[in-house]
Amino acid sequence: MSSLADASGTQDRVSPVKPLPRTRRRPHILPYALALPIVLYEIALIVYPIAQGIYGSFQQIELASNSPPTWVGLANYQRMFSDPDFWQVMKTTLIFTVLVIIVAIGTGLMTALLFNRDFRFRSVARAMLMLPWAFPEVPVVMIFVWILSPQFGVVNILARMIPGVTENPQWLQIPILAMGWVVLISSWKAFPFYSLVILAALQSVPQEIYEAAKVDGATPLQLFWHITIPSIRTTLELLVVLASIFSFKQFTIIYLMTGGGPSGATETIVMRIFNTAFRFYDYSYATAFGVAGFIVSLVITFFFISLQSRRAEERA
Amino acid sequence: MAQITTSTRTLYRRPKLVPTLRKIALYILVAGVSALTIFPIYWMLVSTFQPSKFTLHYPPPLFPQEITFNQFAELFANHPIALWIRNSFLIATMSMLLCTSLTVLGAYALSSLRWKGRSMFGLFLLVTQMLPEILIVIPLYVIYRRLNVLDNLPALSVVDAAFALPVCIWILKGVFDTVPTEVLDAAVVDGCTEIGVLWRIVLPVSAPGLVAVAVVSFFSAWNEFLFAVIMLSSAKFQPASVGLTTLKATGFTPVEQYMAAGLIFSILPVLFYLIMQRYIVTGLTAGAVKG
Repeated sequence: MSSLADASGTQDRVSPVKPLPRTRRRPHILPYALALPIVLYEIALIVYPIAQGIYGSFQQIELASNSPPTWVGLANYQRMFSDPDFWQVMKTTLIFTVLVIIVAIGTGLMTALLFNRDFRFRSVARAMLMLPWAFPEVPVVMIFVWILSPQFGVVNILARMIPGVTENPQWLQIPILAMGWVVLISSWKAFPFYSLVILAALQSVPQEIYEAAKVDGATPLQLFWHITIPSIRTTLELLVVLASIFSFKQFTIIYLMTGGGPSGATETIVMRIFNTAFRFYDYSYATAFGVAGFIVSLVITFFFISLQSRRAEERA
Repeated sequence: MAQITTSTRTLYRRPKLVPTLRKIALYILVAGVSALTIFPIYWMLVSTFQPSKFTLHYPPPLFPQEITFNQFAELFANHPIALWIRNSFLIATMSMLLCTSLTVLGAYALSSLRWKGRSMFGLFLLVTQMLPEILIVIPLYVIYRRLNVLDNLPALSVVDAAFALPVCIWILKGVFDTVPTEVLDAAVVDGCTEIGVLWRIVLPVSAPGLVAVAVVSFFSAWNEFLFAVIMLSSAKFQPASVGLTTLKATGFTPVEQYMAAGLIFSILPVLFYLIMQRYIVTGLTAGAVKG
């Protein structure tokens, strides 16, 4: 691209001198003064509580009795690793996260390819597609609870079309269906965002490459695998990591749809931390689970950062 | 010559049918995908405006049979929804003011100033942005309990601002980046201080970015559920996001009022998010992808 611009001479006309990098001004105390309040603020409200949580995972905290916490060493961790539920929760978290990534990014990619084509009312259709993303989570849950009502839910009309289904299913009482719906609802809410990002990436692929390949007799499938996918690959990788963070964090939808049930079928680690702390009031044990969740999210964040810096290098 | 004419003719003839079919397939596909995507929202509207004698019936009619507007008055009469919205509004406004003013500082430091800690600062923001809220909620609950600020609206808005801050900084940094360096340089040469550059030049031309930041910080607090449900326990401080979930629990709320409540709660965030989507997407990807 840049070599093309150089060849046509446009770059020389716009700025005869190579522009200085953006960050050219003298070093100063000012940026530190600007950043300091933000760093302090985030330390007070995010870093310090997390440190407290890690510290608390080595203690036994009884909030109700107001007695001082006692130091118990690794007891909470010993309990956690010997708890068969721990591995179950980890497995559920993995299944939920992977399914949401596949469904949400898959749908996002397909809709982006579709909406990248030319048709009338395209801008209207695109705006409509963004609606689920713009909706707050609580009303989204309200809508789906109503749609899935075994008594009057509209989705039953569809289910009844399947041969053999003569009664409205108890959608959220059957483990596999409950998991399916939580994944679908989370993906429905998330996919427009991925679609929009992929669409932006698709539009930056130069059309000439496609034209050239078509002249050479490439089939649409070949165009997709050899041009489209490689050109949006870094964007897709970035979105996979981002989606794994977003779905790993997911709380509101699962909590309000199933609460982690039926019998733990949708209990991800985030749900487990909540239930342990605020349903069973076992704060210390919950913080041990919290540390496990913290480590997982740090690992995903690390992937995000390394992908992002690779992307920045590619651009430069 | 003859060869050329035949090939032009086949080229000309074949496309006539195939593209038409393709075009039709494309429209059917677009219509199908759009219908499937917005059906839940359509159903929310139908269930809001249709009297429940039609909705509470299996199978429900797919198109509204009758329209009513009484549900809104009944909703406000039967439930403290005005109080919930007031609480949400207070939390969101405080969070917005706090977050937006801090964002201006952070975005300026990240965008146009050169300093050693810059990339560390960006990394710090990124990590805090990615951490799940659930990790903070338990220890913060213990800390707030000790400080005696549970059931306190400003104390909650401070947390909401902390979680919106990194995204907001990325959004505004992206906007600040578009101000040409030459303009900033010229101002400094003319004797303007760095703060003066921010105040007199960068901020006035970044108005849409500031609006986007205000929208994100306001509505992330407005929509927030987890901290609100844990930190606020008394009914008089309940914000709408928590209040709405009690409608279901009581079980006696008629469907059209239940859905009307959801609609009232969603209308502002949906509107503003759609208007500002371009900026918000950039912020959510931490500036890695230009939306």
